[in-house]
Amino acid sequence: NELDLQYKFPKAILYTSGQRYESWRGNLIYCSTMIQHLANTQGYWSGDKYFYNAAYSSAYWDAQYPQTIKSIEDMKFQLEAEELTASPEYAMVRILRVFAYSRITDLYGDVPYSEAGRAFIEGLTRPVYDKQEDIYADMLRELEEATTALSSGTSSLGAADIIYNGDLSKWKKWGNSLMLRLALRMVKVDPAAAQEWAGKAISGGVMESNDDIAYITHQTGGNGIIRNGNGEVFTADRSARISKTFLDMLEERDDPRIRVYAALPPTESGFVDDDPASQKGLPNGLDGTTIQSYSGGDDLSTYSEPNSKYLMSEGAPMFWQTYAEVEFMLAEAAVRWGLAGGTAAAATHYADGVTAAMKYLEMYAPGAAISDAAIADYLVANPFNAANALEQINTQYYLAIFLNEYEAYANWRRTGIPALTPVNYDGNATGGTIPRRLVYPTNEAVLNAENYNAVISDQGPDLLTTRMWWDAE
Amino acid sequence: FSGILAQTVTGTVTDSSGNPVPGVNVIEKGTSNGTSTDFDGNYSIDVSGSNAILEYSALGFVTVERSASSGSVINVSMEESTEELNAVVVTALGIKKEQKALGYSLTEVSGEAVAEVPQVNAINALQGKIAGVNITGAATGPAGTSKVVIRGVSSLSGTSQPLYIVDGIPINNQNLGSASRWGGSDYGDGISGINPDDIESISVLKGGAAAALYGSRASAGVIVITTKSGKGQKGLGVDISSSYQLETVMTDLYEFQTEYGQGLNGVAPTTQQEALDAGMQSWGARLGSVASAVQFDGVSRPYSYTGDNIDKYYETGTTAINTVAISQAGENYNLRFSATDLSNDDITPNAGLNRKSFSLNAGAVLADKLTLNVSGKYIIEEVNNRPRTSDSPGNGNFTVALSPPNIDVNNYKPGFNEDGTEFRISSNVYQQNPYWTAFRFKNESDKNRFIGSTTLKYQFTEGLYLLGRAGIDQFTARITSVEPFGTAYKPRGGMQEQTFNVKTVDADVILGYDKQITEDISTSTLIGANSNYVKNEQINLIGNDFVIPTLVNIENVANRNYSYNLGRVKRNGLYFSSEFSFRDYLYLTVTGRNDWFSTLSKAGKTAPNNYFYPSVNTSFVFSDAFEMPEWLTFGKLRAGYSDVGGGANDPYQLALTYAITDTYTATGPTVSLGGINNSALPNENLKPFSKKEYEIGVDLRFLRSRLNLDLTYYANKTENDIVNINTSTASGYSSASINIGELQNKGVEMLLSGSPVKNPNFEWNVSYNLTYNENEVTKTDNDGNPIFPGDAAYGVNSQSGYLVGYPAATLYGTTFVRDADGNIQYDSNGAPSIGPNAVIGQGVAPWTMGITNTFNYKNFEFSFLIDGKFGADIFSGTSAFANFYGASNNTLVGRENGLTVSGVNAAGADFSTTIAPENLSLYYQRLYDIAEANVQDADFIKFRQVSLGYSLPSSLLESTFIRSARVSFIGRNLFFLMRNTENIDPESAYNNTFANGIERFGLPSTRSYGLSLDVKF
Repeated sequence: NELDLQYKFPKAILYTSGQRYESWRGNLIYCSTMIQHLANTQGYWSGDKYFYNAAYSSAYWDAQYPQTIKSIEDMKFQLEAEELTASPEYAMVRILRVFAYSRITDLYGDVPYSEAGRAFIEGLTRPVYDKQEDIYADMLRELEEATTALSSGTSSLGAADIIYNGDLSKWKKWGNSLMLRLALRMVKVDPAAAQEWAGKAISGGVMESNDDIAYITHQTGGNGIIRNGNGEVFTADRSARISKTFLDMLEERDDPRIRVYAALPPTESGFVDDDPASQKGLPNGLDGTTIQSYSGGDDLSTYSEPNSKYLMSEGAPMFWQTYAEVEFMLAEAAVRWGLAGGTAAAATHYADGVTAAMKYLEMYAPGAAISDAAIADYLVANPFNAANALEQINTQYYLAIFLNEYEAYANWRRTGIPALTPVNYDGNATGGTIPRRLVYPTNEAVLNAENYNAVISDQGPDLLTTRMWWDAE
Repeated sequence: FSGILAQTVTGTVTDSSGNPVPGVNVIEKGTSNGTSTDFDGNYSIDVSGSNAILEYSALGFVTVERSASSGSVINVSMEESTEELNAVVVTALGIKKEQKALGYSLTEVSGEAVAEVPQVNAINALQGKIAGVNITGAATGPAGTSKVVIRGVSSLSGTSQPLYIVDGIPINNQNLGSASRWGGSDYGDGISGINPDDIESISVLKGGAAAALYGSRASAGVIVITTKSGKGQKGLGVDISSSYQLETVMTDLYEFQTEYGQGLNGVAPTTQQEALDAGMQSWGARLGSVASAVQFDGVSRPYSYTGDNIDKYYETGTTAINTVAISQAGENYNLRFSATDLSNDDITPNAGLNRKSFSLNAGAVLADKLTLNVSGKYIIEEVNNRPRTSDSPGNGNFTVALSPPNIDVNNYKPGFNEDGTEFRISSNVYQQNPYWTAFRFKNESDKNRFIGSTTLKYQFTEGLYLLGRAGIDQFTARITSVEPFGTAYKPRGGMQEQTFNVKTVDADVILGYDKQITEDISTSTLIGANSNYVKNEQINLIGNDFVIPTLVNIENVANRNYSYNLGRVKRNGLYFSSEFSFRDYLYLTVTGRNDWFSTLSKAGKTAPNNYFYPSVNTSFVFSDAFEMPEWLTFGKLRAGYSDVGGGANDPYQLALTYAITDTYTATGPTVSLGGINNSALPNENLKPFSKKEYEIGVDLRFLRSRLNLDLTYYANKTENDIVNINTSTASGYSSASINIGELQNKGVEMLLSGSPVKNPNFEWNVSYNLTYNENEVTKTDNDGNPIFPGDAAYGVNSQSGYLVGYPAATLYGTTFVRDADGNIQYDSNGAPSIGPNAVIGQGVAPWTMGITNTFNYKNFEFSFLIDGKFGADIFSGTSAFANFYGASNNTLVGRENGLTVSGVNAAGADFSTTIAPENLSLYYQRLYDIAEANVQDADFIKFRQVSLGYSLPSSLLESTFIRSARVSFIGRNLFFLMRNTENIDPESAYNNTFANGIERFGLPSTRSYGLSLDVKF
């Protein structure tokens, strides 16, 4: 009574991509606003003003463990039971598994990992919380083994591999790119390990072009699982606006991406004004009353939203990790440790990153393409500056990963870049500081009490302000 | 001419031993002229003449007639009647038994009592009438479900609803959908389709001993409904009954504040955008402090109270029930056919239901020893717009109740814009314009149902018979629900077409043998076999995003999806019953049944898939065995023990199942998606659970049944209950099926009835029932974790569930933080801190009672029923939201001068602060998050039912073709005699499954009153 992997694998990928439920609450309501990519005057957009909403805070966990994690652990167990651990599919499942867990642990800190998703397999209904440090160590080991097992060739899954159509060399590159991401995540807490793993990732071979991007093609129609989760949110809830912080940063650099990222809400006739000159960002921390005394005016239709021509569709692609991010990480590794060609190569990685970040936008729609000339102009105006390298690189990282807010939030906590000014709204839950994590589901305290109490005493109080292992002060 | 002269008759009435009988009714037959005997048995009556016939009647005696022509002094000796004491009732398997032989408590309610004030859901008519039976109609309108709990919650899996047997066949009582945490509608249950006018009697088999022959299905008690037949009809009879009732909202329940208007931070809106953003928020200025304010539609209107929106929005509902029944009986046959039309216009605009019921019962003696009974019912039910309850999306009750007092709901009309989209009343897309939900949302359900049974009995000899019975309950239900194009939270709309095809087939074969062994001892034995099969097929078409906005059709959607579910469950049973009686005063009955379950069967499974359910009960009529004092007319002791229980109700709980769910084509090729289908962890070791119960009771009748007492004590314990224990979601599953639950009930049921006054012209009968049930959950899982049903029992930061050491359905939620001295902890803003989840109330009332008084004066009958429940609490979602939006009266405190709070701060030090009026919402909005602040005492006493009837005197009808005629004024749920809740009905619940003690914006409670007419030809 096992089901063939060709059905399970694409479903697990789509679960990982996320559906409306957690995209709304986790990615948009919390991450996008805390990180000031988006802003919202509605009180229920809890991240904008650092409120604690139990159901929103736990949404990513609530959705991902019973769907993504259960599916992935089931596939992994099936391949192990069938003694197919040497198969490329086993390596693919392991890479997907690491990606899924990395998002969870980066949001919550110490989380169930070694015993998670294994209720049917091992009868573990109350899984222990693993320390993030241990989770990272294991995830990196998993990636190392999986990428080592892969070379080139094609998986028998073929089209059921809806990321790379069975192209194993691309899986290998993504596995190493993910390793690089996890490696850099540790720079504050364990720079030596960060450097070691970054080196392994780079020598293993990371993404080399926009063709290697790990992303999911979504489609409109059908159940939510096959649609873009962010797109589904925008269909239901058009209250989010581009944060003034984000738009200001784009405008300061005269960024050609403004017209792709931002547009005014459609007029009654359906006209979408995406002229960069018309765009206006909404400051974070305003509500329906305080916006009236804001100089920008209180008419929300005059503030920009994510451009509905390209970004808001339920059929929009969902980007998990882009080549641009990889180039920025290579630039950072070059600056920090002389890896990836050494300090001298940092400028090239930076320029390649910026170029890739602008070029890949055409994957949303042909109209979103940025011309080579515009990119060249931008690079001329914003050249690599070795004196300010890390800030510059990670600012570009921040500008490049709009809508992948989980990653934007994690990278900001890792680097503190860009420097964001927190809001301090009455009654906020953090004392006016940007949250460092999301809070566990409240029922864990009841249903998994022993392990929950252990993690609290270990990691610290279950609050938005508690820092996780890699997010050392 | 002596015959027409008035004369006086006097005399004495004595019993068979010569003692005078007081209180005997003496009436001149065919008139209302009458008297009664005094304490010494003497009477005196003026009669119209010597042709007059005098009728002597008294409870407990055989009625006697004498002609006045026999003289002016007539002494009468009356024979004690045993008939009333030997009342025959319907027991398990439809077997009729003398009540005195029963070793358990059984209550039978007559059809007249059910139809006196007819209810759309007939079972609601039993409310308050039966000790040990706790009935609550869900707050979901007349087409909604009812929760019936007999002798306490007996399972943690939510299946505490009794088994319903109609004319020998178990009917399907499946709930076709109910509201949960995120909203939804109640699609009714199976029992609600039974026509009240067709009911001959309802037997409530409360305990396991009464119901044990039903084995695994008897764990929550059994309700046996017998429908009317033509039996006893002389010639052709036609019965026409009609009732018409009006329903109005109990507006006095709702007392929202009327002093502060829409707005935020003490300020009234000045722009349309501000008004929309304020939405339901009544945190604005004092009404009248500004002359006018802009509202949701951009129109500026006076900033003053505009009147009760609940009163303005809801309409007067009507329910008309019309029945024609024809019956006839002859020597070898009897027949009854009835047709009923029930039409209801609900209080919500554009909502209502129509139900047409046709019923045919026929019996015939086919050959010398062969009798046949057939029964068929066809029910066509169409419901228009069942209300959405609980969460706000599409729930008009939410916005009507919470609209700020300066907003007039009439200005929400017509609910849509010129372009056909929702006319928004709030920026919050989930707060719907109630006229949009009433007129543009669609929620139509059609149910066609056939219930039929055939019983064939062959009497080999006087004592030996073979009985075969087979029946079917088959229905198809179609539900069309539409969220229209232009709905704020779903701009392009969507719809669902659901089809249910549900079939329950049940068959019994019974071989019975009755034998008088000696003069003193007789036996009655039967053995039988039963097979029950349920097939449940559901097809669900889901469409989203209408292509042509106004065309509501499942084909007219951009996004399509479907689902198909098929469940098949079978159980087989073998059973026996043996009754021994000794001298008609000592009875012993032993039964046993073994059931096998398909839901617990799997190849290679070692845990048992069957269970043996025994019972034994005894009855001792000591008043027949021994000489009793004169005042004790009847006395019986009874005792019973049983083990009933059940298997797994739902199929597919044993194994991990996979399903192909979707098709993905975004990258070109068609890719099928599949995966694990279980959200609950399967368990292949599941076995049947059991509920053991014993009961003892006494049935006493005094003064020739003028005063009766029926008292029962019972205790039951459910073990190995199959429960879905909650697991950490990180395990991959949110729950796991496991045989582990344990809970127990102990209780006392009392029925006290009597006839304080009994004269020919005036009679007063009173019946009082009182029940106390103590429930305790003794085991949930090995770690003592609570069990929460999740979204089906969710309030706001609160839920209702099962905790070890507490009664079933304990309310559990966030609390205030208090220090050791009980001081409340506040944060620096002055808002109370949110404390951990804890027990905050009890969701099921341990005490229930009802009192019925009936007065007969000549041809008038007046009766009323008062019932009450005590000891329960209710979490009020209305209170939580009313705190949040500043709608309740308690939020008035501090509006002008600020609110001073005193307690401790997070460090435990004394703390006091005054929250400025403009920040006041911070405080009350925190109360929304603290469930404890929104729990209310649910004790109540309700004036449940009243009826005043007048029967036309038979003398008037004598020369007509009318046999009897009666007209009644009827009323239901007229008012509360006692209530502690604010803004909600203490009985309000949004579903009948798990939401015990959880209220969230159900349909408002109504009072109904009307007229009923019953004419027999």
